[in-house]
Amino acid sequence: MPATPVLELRRLNKSFGPVQVLHDVSFSAEAGEVTALVGDNGAGKSTLVKCIGGIHPIDSGDYLFEGAPVHVNSPRDAAGLGVEIVYQDLALADNLDIVQNMFLGRERKRGLVLDEATMEEMAAKTLTGLSVRTVHSVRQQVSSLSGGQRQTVAIAKAVLWNSKVVVLDEPTAALGVAQTQQVLELVRRLADKGLAVVLISHNLNDVFAVSDRIAALYLGRMAAQVRTSDVTHAQVVELITSGRSGELGLANGDGLNGVKA
Amino acid sequence: MMRAGPSQEEIRRHNLGTLLRYIHLHGPTSRTVLADRLGLNRSTIMALTAELTGAGLVREKLPSETGRAGRPSLVVRPESTRFYVLAFDVGVDRLAAARVGLGGVILDRREAVRERNGFDLDEVVATLAGFARQMLRKADADTVCVGAGAAFCGVVRRGDGLVRFGPNIGQTEVPFGAALTRELDLGMTVSVANDANLGALAEHQRGIGTRCQDLIYLHGDVGIGGGIIVGGRLLGGEGGYGGEVGHMVVNPRGRACGCGSAGCLEAEVGERALLSAAGREMSEDLIGRDAIRAIVDAAERGDVLARDALHRVGDWLGFGVSNLVNIFNPEMVIFGGILREIYLSSAAQVRSRLKTNTMAAAREGLRLRTSDLGDDATLVGAAELAFTEVLTNPLEVLTRAVAAG
Ligand SMILES: Nc1ncnc2c1ncn2[C@@H]1O[C@H](COP(=O)(O)OP(=O)(O)OP(=O)(O)O)[C@@H](O)[C@H]1O
Ligand SMILES: [Mg+2]
Ligand SMILES: [Zn+2]
Repeated sequence: MPATPVLELRRLNKSFGPVQVLHDVSFSAEAGEVTALVGDNGAGKSTLVKCIGGIHPIDSGDYLFEGAPVHVNSPRDAAGLGVEIVYQDLALADNLDIVQNMFLGRERKRGLVLDEATMEEMAAKTLTGLSVRTVHSVRQQVSSLSGGQRQTVAIAKAVLWNSKVVVLDEPTAALGVAQTQQVLELVRRLADKGLAVVLISHNLNDVFAVSDRIAALYLGRMAAQVRTSDVTHAQVVELITSGRSGELGLANGDGLNGVKA
Repeated sequence: MMRAGPSQEEIRRHNLGTLLRYIHLHGPTSRTVLADRLGLNRSTIMALTAELTGAGLVREKLPSETGRAGRPSLVVRPESTRFYVLAFDVGVDRLAAARVGLGGVILDRREAVRERNGFDLDEVVATLAGFARQMLRKADADTVCVGAGAAFCGVVRRGDGLVRFGPNIGQTEVPFGAALTRELDLGMTVSVANDANLGALAEHQRGIGTRCQDLIYLHGDVGIGGGIIVGGRLLGGEGGYGGEVGHMVVNPRGRACGCGSAGCLEAEVGERALLSAAGREMSEDLIGRDAIRAIVDAAERGDVLARDALHRVGDWLGFGVSNLVNIFNPEMVIFGGILREIYLSSAAQVRSRLKTNTMAAAREGLRLRTSDLGDDATLVGAAELAFTEVLTNPLEVLTRAVAAG
């Protein structure tokens, strides 16, 4: 019997004024898995992520967390559930060091007052726990970090605060090859630790390298959500570009009906 | 004839080894947890830890913080800085040595680049033994060496460490184990095994595969090596030569292989294949990982030759992995050495092949992962090989080691 997904969206709709961007979208993410979210430019990936993160209110549909319906109306609500979103333009404070960034906005949660030494130790432990070897000192200013290291810190922050779902919107888009490979391994480790990870990427090779499932959006509709081991590269390309591939995907015409401009 | 059951003495020795092994692999553990994990009662655990403590192999301490009320259970820790092994690694491009403490801590290490032109046994052995002497000199007087092990990039005979064949160093019948044992002169034999076999062992015991009983480790150097773990045990074969997946033929009309055959996985996926497919010659200054990285980089920037080369190589790798998945139904396939970079940059091809060429049932639980230990995998494996004896029979090996040292 399949486990209850940590995060599940059912028949979600979202319009910006007269423009419907998401149409009856269902999507789920399970603990211990990397779920890749793919789709062409403008397919609705970032919009879906912003709905998950409470930045955009949804027009209709269900948002379930660990099987129970919840209302997520703000980023605070999402964070409260343990949903952490790492946006591409990372919300790290350049003038602060790694430790300060990892505790930013959380310093006094649950009446917890932590001293600097404890915070430093927790930050360092989290990075080591993720086998991060590229960051040499947790007292380094974030402004001095490379793109990959910044992603690493953002991801480690999610782990430190015991998030259950981590959504990464194109984490490797701005990175070189070596850094991309390190971030991919980190994404995989995160899921292997038991978190539900959602990875958005335009690079299908990255998607095949680390994902367990692939969700393909086509013109605002979920064309298919499949196990990565059950599809070929060519099939995923077809799902992205035409919304269907053989038996998979939207029935004829469905994709086009989704456009209501 | 009926065999008598194990004697009390045999049971005790077995339990000592099992307990020490547990601490070695899992680190400091409380007596309560040990009793639970090893399925022994607390008084037996107490007697065993007392013996190991007496020998100096472990130390018992109160835990630093106790969550619950009541008497805290003593924590048993390995004496990592006192007992160690020497580990060696002979790769095509590097020679490495390390002093590794009980518990798997790398206490000290040395590394040198190995030139690709030829293979001089005396020189290799002299370099490794030199590293060992430097590290031994730095070790404290009260420390004890309890074993020595080496990983070698070739087909190695179990028992005496004779390298039968090293296709990528152009050698046959090299008495490497005997030569290193003689040169080290530590009063103990250096155990030698194939490097990829040891990489598999290392990933299984300390890396990404610790929870898998069935895994395959693929090691990319100039060639492709492999280690297959079935039901928690390394597959050796009759002579210990098993697991050479690099010489599985994937393309009958393929490129010539260093082993004399053609179209082997390593001939289609190894460094040479990738370089030649990308239209790049082997050059002195860009070999190994750097050469692979340069191709991955070029592909990323849109170089069509580099892209096509990675596609082709990924496709052949996919054929190879598919065969392994159909035959062994592994829970995990681990890509190590330069195969890490190759897998990560050609995963779409590899996994498309898997979908097309494997039985759904054989692949449904499969996880594809990159090595956790990275470039240390083979060296860590050599250390684990070196620890084998002391973890099987702690007290006797210790007595012998102290006498030798
Ligand atoms: N705040 C907004 N107001 C109006 N339209 C919007 C808004 N945000 C997104 N859209 C529109 O919604 C559609 C989906 O955009 P979205 O950013 O979700 O796509 P995407 O799949 O993330 O694309 P990309 O791969 O380019 O990042 C686009 O047509 C976009 O113009
Ligand atoms: Mg987007
Ligand atoms: Zn061959």
